[in-house]
This record gives sequence, structure tokens and C-alpha cells, in this order.
Amino acid sequence: MDYILHGFLQGFVLLFSGNDETYSAIWATVYASSLSMTASLLIGVPLGFLLGYHEFRGKKVVRTLVDTLLSFPTVVIGLMVYALLTRNGPLGATGLLFTVPGMALGQAILGLPIIVAMTANAVETLDKRLPQTLLTLGADPRQVLWATVTEARFAIILAAMAAYGRIVSEVGISMMVGGNIKWHTRTITTAIALETGKGEFALGIALGMVLLAVALTVNIVASGLKRRARQ
Amino acid sequence: MSEILRLDNISQSYSGRNVLDVPGLALAPGQILGLAGPNGSGKSTLLRLIAQLEPPAAGKLQFLGRTVDEADTESRRQVTLLTQEPYLLKRTVFANVAYGLKVRGERDVRPRVREALALVGLDPNVFAPRLWFELSGGETQRVALAARLVLRPRLLLLDEPTASLDSESAALIRDAVLAARDRDATAMVIASHDMPWLNGVSDRILHMDHGRMVDNPQPLGGVS
Repeated sequence: MDYILHGFLQGFVLLFSGNDETYSAIWATVYASSLSMTASLLIGVPLGFLLGYHEFRGKKVVRTLVDTLLSFPTVVIGLMVYALLTRNGPLGATGLLFTVPGMALGQAILGLPIIVAMTANAVETLDKRLPQTLLTLGADPRQVLWATVTEARFAIILAAMAAYGRIVSEVGISMMVGGNIKWHTRTITTAIALETGKGEFALGIALGMVLLAVALTVNIVASGLKRRARQ
Repeated sequence: MSEILRLDNISQSYSGRNVLDVPGLALAPGQILGLAGPNGSGKSTLLRLIAQLEPPAAGKLQFLGRTVDEADTESRRQVTLLTQEPYLLKRTVFANVAYGLKVRGERDVRPRVREALALVGLDPNVFAPRLWFELSGGETQRVALAARLVLRPRLLLLDEPTASLDSESAALIRDAVLAARDRDATAMVIASHDMPWLNGVSDRILHMDHGRMVDNPQPLGGVS
């Protein structure tokens, strides 16, 4: 038990002394997840809106496909993106393998189905009186569209938080596509995996505390939004 | 008196079933027409057609002398409908009442929003900052009415505006409706089961049954 307690104490020291290695991993995590979240939201919200708002042939098949992708294993995504970005792969010339943007590409693929599925669900479950209300108040089709997205905002933020939770805690993509390169692509999760393997609990626990703080913040905000969305 | 609304041989059908058949109807500015009748008699369908939320299966609908085009946003902005169970946007009361003005590109909406809230008997200082879920059923109904009255529409359509309201709220809505008519010469078509209330606000009441007008369906007051 002593080594766990010692690990916690050392973890606090690393965090509050501004240890470079610790903050390098935190920065790589923030950088990659910010890129991937931006891409997931920019692509996922419009796609989710289209999926939830419009009726078209094959919609059920698309919904089933998106729902299936929700449980896409991160190592499989890592493998696919690695195959795409490797020197001989179709996107090898981009030079993105073992870079933070390369990791972000894989993480965006991880987050995208979550954003699409939850946005579609949010739009589908909006009150059926909404479009009629907007029309009777004089909104044109473009204003109806924008107000509909605005009405679904709490659920869309919730979708973003769920995607962020999954992205920030994944290991497989970061390890395979990023290569866990110190000072460069080493993220919180890959650093924890590596340091624990080496028996260095302090850095692992310090970074684990950061992840827990992120998870706690996400959950507190998400439960507040859930309450607001239900009202 | 000029004509604001004219319906000629309007009919509507859903899935091949005829639900509405109105040979003729006209309305002048400032007139309040009551529609009475049992559930399923076509009152709400008629209001939806006049509100231009759906096109009729047959017949002609003229608004301010012009035949209404389905995609005519400008014409639709002169008419507004308050449905039986109004929906409030997930925003403050102020934002709800201001929404219709903002989509019309109007600026400096604050005085008009305050005036509309006062008209329906809600203190703007108390209610404007409230969120949509902080209102009772009667307050929700009155905020939704204020969101229509603030637009100063040429034609206001009300579908069961007093359903499930207490007598005090119903009286406040009656006062607001009559004040809007007196102030802006707003014409109104009001569907209601509440006959005493409807008698108190309407210039004339038409009874509907099975999609048809039971009373004389000829044009109203001086409009030929």
C-alpha cells in the first residue's frame, strides 16, 4: 500500500511543481483532443442534424451503421489510420504518422459517430410543435433550421462532452498512430500505460488525477445539462 | 371597409378523406370571428390553412387581396397562430416574445416586448428574465399570446386559447385580445369550446361540424 500512497504524494509534487514531462503529456492530450473535437463537431453536428431532421430511403440502415460505430474499438481505428498514414499507405505522403494531427485524425473518427448519433437523436426528439411555432412567428426556412439547432443545443453540448470523454481517455489510437514519442506525441493515457509498465507510479498517478479531474468536470457539467434539456 | 381575408371553395383532405369544405368566408380588419363545434369538426384545420401552414387541397385563399402562395414568407408574416398547447422556445420569456420581431430584422425590441407582456397582464420586470420552465400553464399561454401580439399582425388566429386555464387567466386573455383589436384593428379567428368566453369576444360565431359550416357561410359584415 505504501507505494500507492507514495505515488499519490509524488503525483501532487509533479503536478504542482510544474514538471516538464507531466505537462508535456497534458499539452499533447489537450492539443490532440482539441483538434479532434473541432473536426468531430464541424462534421458531426451537420450530419447528425440531417440524419435526425430529414426522412430518406435507407435512414434506418444509416442509423444502425452509426450506432454500430459507437462501439468501434480504438485499436481497430488506430490500425486503420496507421494503415492509411504509413509511408506506403494512401495518405503516406501527408507525413501525419507519429504526429499530433495524425492522432487527432484517429480520435475524430472515434468521436464522430458519438456526435452524429446523439445530435440525430436530439433533433428527432425535439418537440413536434417547434417547426409550426417558428413558422407562425414568421421564421423563414433558414431561420427555422437555425432555431432548431439552437433548441437542441443542450443535447448537442452533451454529445460533445460524451465524445470528449471518450477521446481524452483512449489509448489505442494515440499509441498506434502517435507512437508515444516523449515530448512530442506522448499523451496522458499513453504516458500512464508506459510509466506503469516501468513501475513508475508517481507520473502515472499524477496524470491519472488529471484525467479524473477532467472526467469529474465533464460529468458535473453533463448532469446539469441533462437536467436543463429535460425541462 | 377593406377585406383582409377571403376563402373561396376551400377544401382539405388527408389520405383521401375530406376533412374541410368551406364554400366562402371573408373577414374585415378588426372583426373577430368565433368558431365553435365539436372535436374533429375542422376548426383547427381551417386555422392551419388560414395561417398558411399547409396549402388547401382545392380552392382559393386570398389575404389582403392577394392569392396566397405557399412559399410567401412576407404574406405569412402578417398572420400568426396561437395553438392550443403553445410551445415556448428554451429561452427566457423576453427572448420568446422578441423572437418574431428579430426574425423580421427589427431592432430596439425591448419597449415592444415590455408593452406586449403588460398587455397580457404579466409584469415585464418580473417575467421578462424568467426561463421557459419557470412558468405556470396560464403564464405560458399568456407569454405565447404576447409573442403573437407583439408582432401586431393583421390577422390573429387563436386555437382554444382558454383550454385548461382558470377563469382569471381566461379573462386576462380576453382583455388582451380585445385591447389588440382596438389598438391595431387586428382581425381574429378564434376557435373555442368555451362558449361564454367566445360570446364575450366575438362579433359573430360560426358553428362547424364534420368539416362544414353549419351556419350561414356567407361573407361577414359588409364584405361581399
